[in-house]
Parts: sequence; structure tokens; C-alpha cells
Amino acid sequence: MKQRTRFSRTVVGGAALSLILSLSGCGEGSDAADGDTIHVLVYGDAANKVEKELVDTFNETSKVKAVLDTIPGADYQAKLQTIINSKQAPDVFFNWGGGSIEPFVDAGLLLPLDPFIAKDPGLKAKFLPSVFNSAVVDGTSYGIPMRGTQPVLLFNNGKVLKKAGVEPPETWDDLLAAVEALKADGVTPIALGGGDRWPTLMWFEYLYDRIAGPELFQKALDGDREVWASPDSRKALGKIKELVDAGAFGTNYDSVKFTDQGSPTLLATGKAAFELMGSWEYSTQQGAHPGFAESDLGYSPFPSVQGGKGDRANVVGNTNNFYSVLKKTKHPQAVAEFLKLMYSDQFVKAQLGIGNLPTTTNTEKFLDTAASPEFAKFQYDMVKAAPAFQLSWDQAYPQSAATPMYQALQQFFNGSMDEDAFIQAMQALPTS
Amino acid sequence: MTRTATFSAADGTFDKADSSGIGAGRPGFLWAAPATLFFALFAIVPLIMVAVLSFARWDGLSNPEFAGLDNWKLLFDDPVMIKSLWLSVLLTVLGVLVQTPLSILLGVWAAGHQRNRAVLSAIYFVPMLLSVAAVSVLWRAVLDPNFGVPAQATWLFGDGNLFGTQAGAIGVLVFVSTWQFTPLHTLIYQGAARAVPRVLYQAAQIDGAGTVRQFFHITLPQLRNSIITSMILMVVGGLTTFDTVLILTQGGPGSDTTISAYYMYQKAFKSFDYGSASAIALLLVLVSTLISLVVVRLSGYDKMRSTMEGL
Repeated sequence: MKQRTRFSRTVVGGAALSLILSLSGCGEGSDAADGDTIHVLVYGDAANKVEKELVDTFNETSKVKAVLDTIPGADYQAKLQTIINSKQAPDVFFNWGGGSIEPFVDAGLLLPLDPFIAKDPGLKAKFLPSVFNSAVVDGTSYGIPMRGTQPVLLFNNGKVLKKAGVEPPETWDDLLAAVEALKADGVTPIALGGGDRWPTLMWFEYLYDRIAGPELFQKALDGDREVWASPDSRKALGKIKELVDAGAFGTNYDSVKFTDQGSPTLLATGKAAFELMGSWEYSTQQGAHPGFAESDLGYSPFPSVQGGKGDRANVVGNTNNFYSVLKKTKHPQAVAEFLKLMYSDQFVKAQLGIGNLPTTTNTEKFLDTAASPEFAKFQYDMVKAAPAFQLSWDQAYPQSAATPMYQALQQFFNGSMDEDAFIQAMQALPTS
Repeated sequence: MTRTATFSAADGTFDKADSSGIGAGRPGFLWAAPATLFFALFAIVPLIMVAVLSFARWDGLSNPEFAGLDNWKLLFDDPVMIKSLWLSVLLTVLGVLVQTPLSILLGVWAAGHQRNRAVLSAIYFVPMLLSVAAVSVLWRAVLDPNFGVPAQATWLFGDGNLFGTQAGAIGVLVFVSTWQFTPLHTLIYQGAARAVPRVLYQAAQIDGAGTVRQFFHITLPQLRNSIITSMILMVVGGLTTFDTVLILTQGGPGSDTTISAYYMYQKAFKSFDYGSASAIALLLVLVSTLISLVVVRLSGYDKMRSTMEGL
């Protein structure tokens, strides 16, 4: 026992050292007297504008002051993991719900939010249930939605579709027919940023949902590995092969990325007709190709698959981001007050103003104030009506599953791994 | 003034030219103490911690748990790990094979007195001034299949799927590191080629040896020590390559360019499995040391034979 303590002290001491080194770069706003502050840690990007605004609003009336800390996007998860069990840990932090907070729950670091909700039912009732539920772990709530929902849609280039005489597809057969027509017209039917790998994942998520329904994935996540070998799973894989083999994505998709504007540019310049992408495609195009975004960028839900068990109204994507609270916060009362702001009118209007779509029940009232009211309304109706909203697989699974999952997805998609090997790879993923 | 004196000692140069007269005398061990302390703190201590962690299970959150040989057993059962070691060695060997002849030729050429040599040499050295990250981002854009060079030169690149095939991705990695690091090795060879005594060439000319013969029988043997120095740098650099892979291929397609250093990063900072990551790190240290030792032994570098023998 004694040896164990010494062992862990050495390691923890070392970790603390590396922590000091890595933290020296991001210690924004660390006051000398931390007595009456709560630290709110968020993913650093353009949306921080709204978070700053809310912190200011909160500080106007509250005795305990909130301090906003940001970590640049790409480093967020790694740095969060490093500081969360240390003295520098924040009181409230940004996350993706699901698998992204599970290790923290398991380590006993997070505060169950049910007592907060008991005192203020609005913390649950004012959010869309399909979204709120993705931060529920083992029946306990650990997150309050913040920022916006990001459903995945099938975007298209209206001009290219028109020229080829193609409509946005309602069914799988429509999609296959569109692929043939577009190929005959000399364009790549579907742009895909396979180099990033998460865009490839979206095709799996939707096809599994449409063919097997949302239950299959949930069972897999709960530890039932057999479902990956089920007939529904094989059928979904067959459909993916069918589409790839039909040349829907061209042949060089694995060298294309979304993150360096590769696939969005294919769509905008008319070299490709469709792209399956999260709702951020809209603001991406608005930034890089504003003319195209305004006149020719179309969108539709993912097509239905004949004989499939999943509803066409089901949605996959990022349900939302969440604020979770650390158990050791000294000011739970202030934190509870801060979280109430996440369903305030001010929050909703500010998020809509920067193009995010909040998932509160009062969002509907303010949709006209959105950056693009039509697009905001389409998304909101879609998410509100969705019988099931599947959180992206890579975020629903624990972190350690992401890399092997990506590898298997990419290899099955480009044909370097067969169906059985893919099923085996998915069965081997750690579920907890 | 004292400062300059300390610095020259830390460099390992002898102090006999200490014209200032302050601190005269031979450098003692104490002079190296600050550097030694720093080295211990930032190199030895972490190395020991990594060794300890490689026998533990740790996700960075809870207390580490002793795991015995679990990480090591997993490592040798893991097909990706074995593949990653092979890939590291393959990339290193390819790098040495491509860069060595290229930088010898360039270096020997740059050591001469041709017209415009200075201007051209200056242009070669530009890649060395850029950071690896910048270089990788640049080439990623240049090699974009739809909007980069491959789209224009389809006769050469076909569909441009360079990053989607193992051969293509490895080719790009070797090419980019060659582009980036050849200047450094050229510099080494340029210096070495300049140090070759002129008399050797004059004697060879009298004996009627042409340029090619002179190159193979005088220049190359005289460059022996530099070749070994440069190769060791390439081997160590190659085995620890990380940034180009992170930016250019992310270990893909599949795990086809997941070299050990990148695999270690994935284990630690994507999967939060610090135990396995530490085991990989330690294995890399061992393999690098071993390869360096083998290179030194095989080449006779350890005997420090002078190239000036018989002169």
C-alpha cells in the first residue's frame, strides 16, 4: 500500500510539472484571489463572443464573479483532460455530452445536476428532450445544453442539379439514379472529405439509422457486440459499398479534406453536386463562397431507404454542446444561477445572431432574427420533429475508440478492408 | 565579461584563448553543473517517469494503477504497433537512401567556385528556414487532387489520390522531408568538401584522373566522417518524425502511415492511454539508440580515424 502511494505520487508530481509547463500558455484571467470567482472553460473559437456576453450579464448581478477561460479548439480535449483533476480545474466546462464526459463521470469528478433541476425545472423543461438526453449518463443528468445543434444534412449545388435534371433525392433509389445522371454530366456526384475521416463516418451513421433504426447503435454502445454482425448491419454495409462502387464519390476522396476547404470548394465550384455535412456547411460556404451560399446552396434531409426500419425524420449529428459542473466547485449556487442563462432570451438571440441554432423551447420565437431565417427554421423543425437524434458515433463512444473506429471506417469505405474484417474491428472497440 | 568566459566553457571549447584574463585556468566540472542539472531535469527525469508509467494504467484522471507487463504484452500483440515500427524503419531507410546521394552531390557542387553558385545555394537553403508545419501545410495544398498540381498534371498523377493509398502517402512523406532536410545535409557536405586538401586533387590531375574519378576516389572517401554524421542525424530524425505525419496524413489511409511516434501520440492524446504510450516511447528510445550504435560500429566512426592519414 505504501509503495503504491509513493508510486502514484511520483507520477502525479511529474504530471503536475508537465501541467505547469503546458498551462503557462493558456492561463487567461487567473486572478490572485480566487475566493469569489467561478471559472468557465470553453472551446476557443468565434462563438466565444456570446459566452463573453453572458458572463458579463451574469457578473452584473452576481456577487460571485464568473471568469471565462478559453483553450484553442484543436487542443481543447487534451488540455481539459490534463487539468480537470488538478488545482487549475474549472468550475464549469464545455463538452460534447455522451462519451466525452463519461470518463469524468466514472472518475467521480462531475456534479449530478438533478438537484439543480429539482429546484428549477426550467433547466430541463426548457430544452428539446432529444438534445438534453445526450448528456444523461446512467440516468443522471450531467450537462446543460449551450451553443447550437448541428444536424447533418445533404447539401447540394442547385445549379449543377438543374443542369443534370436531378432533384434532391427522397429515397435511396433516387440517390443512385442521381449519381448516374450526374456522372453522365461529367461531375463528381458527391463531394467527400475522406482525408478528415469524420465526414466518411456520416454516411455510416445515416445508413445504419435508416436501415436498422437507432436501436442498433444504442445496443452496440451498451456493449452488445453481436449487433455489428446482424443482417441489418450487413445490409447497411452493402449499401455503402453499392454507393462507393457506383463511383458516387469519385476515386480520390481520401486525399480531399473538409477542414482545408477541399470538399466545400468542390461543391461551390460545381465540380461536385452533393455533400453530406453538418449544418456548419452553411456558414462555411457563407464565409468562403458567399455568392454560392446565397443563390445555389440547397439542402435536404437524408433520403429514406426502402424496407429500412429507421424513420426518415431521424437525425444524426452533434446534438449540441453542454456545460458540465465539477463536483468540487465552491459555489454551486452561483453555478446554478449561471446555467439558467442558457435558456434566456438573451442567449437565444445572441446565438442565432452568430448563426448557431440553440435547442431551447423558446428558440422558435426568435427564428426570424437568425443570420439566415429560412435555414434556421428548416433545421429547427427538423430537430424538433426528430423521433431520434443520433450523436455522432465518434463522440458517443469513449475517446479511446475514435482512432480504431476511423481506421476501420476509412478502410472499409475505400475497399481495403472487407465486411467481416470491418465487423470485427467494430466489435473490438472499447465501449467503456 | 565573466559571462563570455562561462559561455565558451559551456560550449566545450578550451579557455586558453581567454584574452580577458578573467577566470583564467582550466574549466572544472562545476562549470557544467547548470547545464547538467537542466539536462537531468528535462531529459533524465522524464525518461525515468516514462519508464515507470509504461508499467502502469493511467488515463490522466484517476491515480495510476500498477499494471505489470500488460502494456508491453499488448504492444507486442498489437498489429498496428508492429506495423508502425516497420513503417518508421521504412521511412527512415527511404529518407537516407534518397537524401544522402542528393545532398552529397549538392554539397560537393556548392563547395566549388562556379558562377551563380552563391545565389543558387542561398535558394536551396530556403526550405530549411521554414518550420516543418508550414512546409507540410504548403505541400498538402500543392498536392490537393482537385485544385493543386495533380489536377493539372493528370498524365503524371492519375486521379491524384496521393493521400489515399499507402504508396502515395509514403511517397509524399519521403518527398516532403527530403525537400525540407536536404539543405541541412548539403550544408554539412559543403563544409566537409571544402576541407578536403587541394593537393590531393592536384596530384590526381597530374596522374590524369578525370572529375568523376576524383569524386569517387578522393572526395567520397574524404567525406566518410561527414556521411556518418549526416546519416545518424537522418536516422534519429527519421525515427522521431511526427509533425509531417500529423499534418499530412494523420496516420492514414487506415493505419498505413501510422509510424511509431505518431502512434504514441494517438495513444496518449487521442485515446488517453498514457501507459501504452509510454511503452511505445520507451521502445522508440531503445530502437533509436540501437540503430545509432549499429551505424557507429559498422562505420568505424567510434575509432575516430582521421581522413588525414598519410598526408
